[in-house]
Amino acid sequence: MSNILVFAETRANAVRKLALEAVTAARALADATGGGEVHALVAGTPGVGSAAEQLGQFGADVVVVVEHAGFTNFDREAVAATIAARAKAGSYRAVLLGFSAQGRDVGPRVAAKLDAPIVSDVTSIGVNGDALTVKHPAYANKVIVTLEVNAPLAVVSIRPSAITAQPAARTAKTETMQPASDPASSRIVVKEMVEGGKGKIDLGEAPVIISGGRGLKAAENFKLVEELAAAFGNAAVGATRAVTDDGWRPHSDQIGQTGRQVSPQLYVAVGISGAIQHLAGMRTSKTIVAINKDKEAPIFKVADYGIVGDVLEVVPALTQAVKEAKASH
Amino acid sequence: MKIAVCIKRTPDSESRFKIAPSSTSIDETGLKFDIDDFASYAVEVALQLNEKQGPGETVIVAVGPDVVQETLRKAMSMGADRAIQLKADKIPSDGLAVAKALAAELKDGGYDLVLFGKHAFDTSAGVVGTATAELLGMPCVTAATKLEISNGRGLARRELEGAAEMVEFPLPAAVTIDEGIARPRYPSLKNIMAAKKKPLETKPAQLGDVRVTVTGMELPPDRPPGRIIGEGVAAVPELIRLLQTEAKVL
Amino acid sequence: MGAVHASNAVFAFVLTIGAGFFALNVQRLIRYMRLGFAEDRTNAPLVRAKNVLSIGIAQTKIFRDPVAGAMHATIFWGFMVLTAGTVEILIQGVFPQFSYDLFLWHPLYQLYALSQDGFALLVLGAIGFAYYRRLVVHPRRLEGDKLEHTDALIILGMIGGLMVTLLLMNAFQYHVDPATVGPEKFVSRALAYAVTPIAQHPTSIAQLFFWAHALLILIFLNYLPYSKHLHVVTSLINVYLSNTSGPGQKGVMRPMDLEAEVEQFGASDVEHLSWKNLLDGYSCTECGRCTAACPANITGKELSPRKIVINTRQRLMEKAPVVTGDRMEFLHPALLHGEGGDAGAVTIEQVAEHRLLDTYISDTELWQCTSCRACVQECPVSIDQLDIINQMRRYLVLSESRFPEEVQPAFESLKRNGSPWAFSPSDRAKWAEGMDIPTMAEVVERGERPDILFWVGCMGSFDDRAKKITVAFARILKACNINFAILGQEEHCHGDPARRMGNEYLYQMLAKDTIGTLDRYEVKTIVTSCPHCFHQIGNEFPQLGGNYEVIHHSTFIERLLQEQRVPLESDEGKRLTVAYHDSCYLGRYNDVYDAPRETLKRALPVVNLVEPKRTKDRGLCCGAGGGRMFMEERQGKRINIERTEELLATGADTIAVACPFCMTMINDGVKAVQSDVPVLDIAEVVAGQLR
Repeated sequence: MSNILVFAETRANAVRKLALEAVTAARALADATGGGEVHALVAGTPGVGSAAEQLGQFGADVVVVVEHAGFTNFDREAVAATIAARAKAGSYRAVLLGFSAQGRDVGPRVAAKLDAPIVSDVTSIGVNGDALTVKHPAYANKVIVTLEVNAPLAVVSIRPSAITAQPAARTAKTETMQPASDPASSRIVVKEMVEGGKGKIDLGEAPVIISGGRGLKAAENFKLVEELAAAFGNAAVGATRAVTDDGWRPHSDQIGQTGRQVSPQLYVAVGISGAIQHLAGMRTSKTIVAINKDKEAPIFKVADYGIVGDVLEVVPALTQAVKEAKASH
Repeated sequence: MKIAVCIKRTPDSESRFKIAPSSTSIDETGLKFDIDDFASYAVEVALQLNEKQGPGETVIVAVGPDVVQETLRKAMSMGADRAIQLKADKIPSDGLAVAKALAAELKDGGYDLVLFGKHAFDTSAGVVGTATAELLGMPCVTAATKLEISNGRGLARRELEGAAEMVEFPLPAAVTIDEGIARPRYPSLKNIMAAKKKPLETKPAQLGDVRVTVTGMELPPDRPPGRIIGEGVAAVPELIRLLQTEAKVL
Repeated sequence: MGAVHASNAVFAFVLTIGAGFFALNVQRLIRYMRLGFAEDRTNAPLVRAKNVLSIGIAQTKIFRDPVAGAMHATIFWGFMVLTAGTVEILIQGVFPQFSYDLFLWHPLYQLYALSQDGFALLVLGAIGFAYYRRLVVHPRRLEGDKLEHTDALIILGMIGGLMVTLLLMNAFQYHVDPATVGPEKFVSRALAYAVTPIAQHPTSIAQLFFWAHALLILIFLNYLPYSKHLHVVTSLINVYLSNTSGPGQKGVMRPMDLEAEVEQFGASDVEHLSWKNLLDGYSCTECGRCTAACPANITGKELSPRKIVINTRQRLMEKAPVVTGDRMEFLHPALLHGEGGDAGAVTIEQVAEHRLLDTYISDTELWQCTSCRACVQECPVSIDQLDIINQMRRYLVLSESRFPEEVQPAFESLKRNGSPWAFSPSDRAKWAEGMDIPTMAEVVERGERPDILFWVGCMGSFDDRAKKITVAFARILKACNINFAILGQEEHCHGDPARRMGNEYLYQMLAKDTIGTLDRYEVKTIVTSCPHCFHQIGNEFPQLGGNYEVIHHSTFIERLLQEQRVPLESDEGKRLTVAYHDSCYLGRYNDVYDAPRETLKRALPVVNLVEPKRTKDRGLCCGAGGGRMFMEERQGKRINIERTEELLATGADTIAVACPFCMTMINDGVKAVQSDVPVLDIAEVVAGQLR
């Protein structure tokens, strides 16, 4: 039986949802390999230790608290060194973490320091004898790959939302630990934080994109699109070539063959017919919703969900419904 | 500056993939391969840095079998000076092993900067760049969308989820490159011809133990055909429900 | 004129100097022209001669503008006829007794004499009209492009002067000896009566006008090399040597050997163009008919085909003297009027720094071209403006990788996916699902051979609107029991968009691969619904060794209708008023104007075919050709909207097209102006009538 170490990512000293998912995964893995302990490591500014209880709720036996004033901004070098040091000090089967921006930065460093193989962006973890087996959606989610990891210690980073966090309450013991390297000596120095680009989420980053086309009839009606985007909260606004050519939206908003190519989680096409040039820019989006008054419009062939109707009526209704859904979440 | 760019040969991201009968790899018939997209941005960044900063050298490195040479030539046709193939039967799924081979090669190269793509399209793991830097003991800045070098120091902009940070770091350093930083140049015929004569060295890749292997591959369930779920405002509640439960994007 | 005098000797001397100077200039210009690369234009002499007769002598292209055409034809024919007289006069200057009458059958001589006077009068009239046109009417195509009228006014003046001096010479000569000015010289005689009061010393005055006339001829001759009227010398030669009206297929781009050990590919300066392009530069009359027909220029863009040609000449005249070491003729380009202004080089270093590309012709202009061929169609002296544009595009792409950034994804996609758009190649035959259409592979596996291959093309395979055209045509083929097959997933782009955009390297890769596939299946006959595919595979593939008979679907359907093989609904149907939009690659490139119209007439029970103002070989391009489908339009009015407005102005209730690119552009245009006139492909019209 062996223990599992989890790097529980925090943001502003609050535990992120994906960290709880990692703990759940660790719990399941520990149970599958003889019932060892789950140790969750949190790093942050003083006060991050209060997260311990929540981690315990989801199955952590031990919470390793690393507090340092120098952790105001995420310090990849110090955090990676700390995780590696902890991993070396204990006898762990695996180090689990979330495949987030931070996780992507930290995971490989830990693996290199420990000379432990790493598998990333996995959606499930299992065992096969002495080996760990994981599934990973590769080739831009087009192929599910099963990988086997043959090593006594492995690093596994988990795709956010692939595993549902399950409460498995226990009383977690708290241990404190000093960072294995001084944050002040990190070679990479954050000079400045820039919030949200120009206050707009970049089309390439946005998980949700609401895009408008000629079906909106006039430039003023684009505010309906903006309102829908605002209702989602993390959405960017895109446009078709037709409307950027007409000057309704800036060229940088154009999605299509000669504009941006995007692949968000959710793409809502409002009043867009679906010409080939536009499709070339967005058809790999995970979920596509189309709203158009013409039921023959080509966009409905690529959309997962389509609503035939007047966008000027449907979009405000949708905005309202999204707001309500988010509020109750 | 002496810049190394580590690239990967990947299939075109628009392809439809089929599984090979062995079910441990994809069926390569009809697939077109090229420099992985993010790696090609890294090549462009290297070329632009050396164009701006006066005489320098851009060296391209890739791990893999001989077909990788075509990909190395493509990078040279963009303007890189020479290339190194670290020969292996196939590109391993063990990112750390690839990192070890790269680190072994780059260690004594005297490089000011080592660039990688943020991640490769096939694995989207982003392991190799960061791990190689760690093995080389270099600071590593990931997902850079802007990069400037002056006086032996680098300044990069990194996109985080919803925000961005500006970081400063000393050279030598490793940087993984995100999209939006530069558009990879289209090689002119002249450069394509010149690339055929540029030096390409082949050495065995020192991978060490490969401890991650593919044991199975399957295609995800088909994207169900889209459907029109209703008309007008009345369809909105159903859409919300589907987005919440089926698509899980809300 | 009497016995040989000392004046005759002087005349002989002056004639020698004048003619000699002209000959030197001609030699110089030929030397400059040879800066261009060599090519052979000696083939098909009969076809070429026929072009000279029809385009040159008969002025067929000039008459496309009836009023200006009549004016110019008069001056031109007059010029030809009067040249005979000029020769006679010049010889008389040395040998006063000379006359054609000495050896011509007298009535013939009289006819000749009549022609001289008659045409002198006509020409004078035409000159008057020309002045009026230029100074009062200001036709649009004679303005713009920084043109100056000085040159034209000088030339008109000289021609007028020549006519006047000729007639006055004759008039006073009549007073010297009436027998020498017969009644057939009716104008001269009339003038003679008119000048009687001042004809006291007719001999000297006649001599004066004789010398004036002769000197004017020599001045005119020697002014030509510095004027746009050089076309007087070069135009017939240019028409002979031109390929724009045959021999051979029109609109085929030059072959290119990419294996050649050359410094660069394509043309950035005059020495990279062919001598023929440079001769085109000499032959341009600056009439502006090309620019007036250019869809880019019409909609307010920088591109002007006239400017391209004039710039070529300007640059040649700037560079050639330096290259040939011709110190004598370092002409300041200000002497050469024309577009773009002179580049102001005053030192040899500056000349060396300049080049045709960028200094004179910007890349913006080059990319604005839709390759519609309207400019080539209109040029009365058979200049090939498109040839220069294409060679410079090749340079931009192959040597400098310089092209609009939105084109790069198209190039990359062509290379990776075999189509200009990022669609998966495995989706190519999805339109055929459920239609029971065999692929070549399937048919050949059965040990059979289809009669014809239906080449679908990328638009028809991937674009949702165009797929409907494909399905419609396939339905027609099936209804007529045609034994056909498609390539399915083995089809990929033949590379034409890459070629049109100057990427010859990518083109040859795609084309050669396509030829390989077609030959593997021993394909002989192909039908396609896209004029670009039609032109490329049928007309340009032979350059790379691919020879197939290719038929456009409008021609194919027309044949089927003629043979009554298409099972159509009879009779009823409401009367449609249809405006057919001519595709450039079908029309101007391949002369297919009637087949689509006939198809409409045969297929629709009652149809009222209306023509837009600019139609058939004057049809306005939809804006998609020349790779422009893949580029942004950044200046002026959108070409497709210009064309759509014109089509809608016919009052038609339906617009018909025969090209998927035109379909996209006109459809977009109709939506943009918020009309709901439907746009249909010929195949859809016919398929809609299937029983």
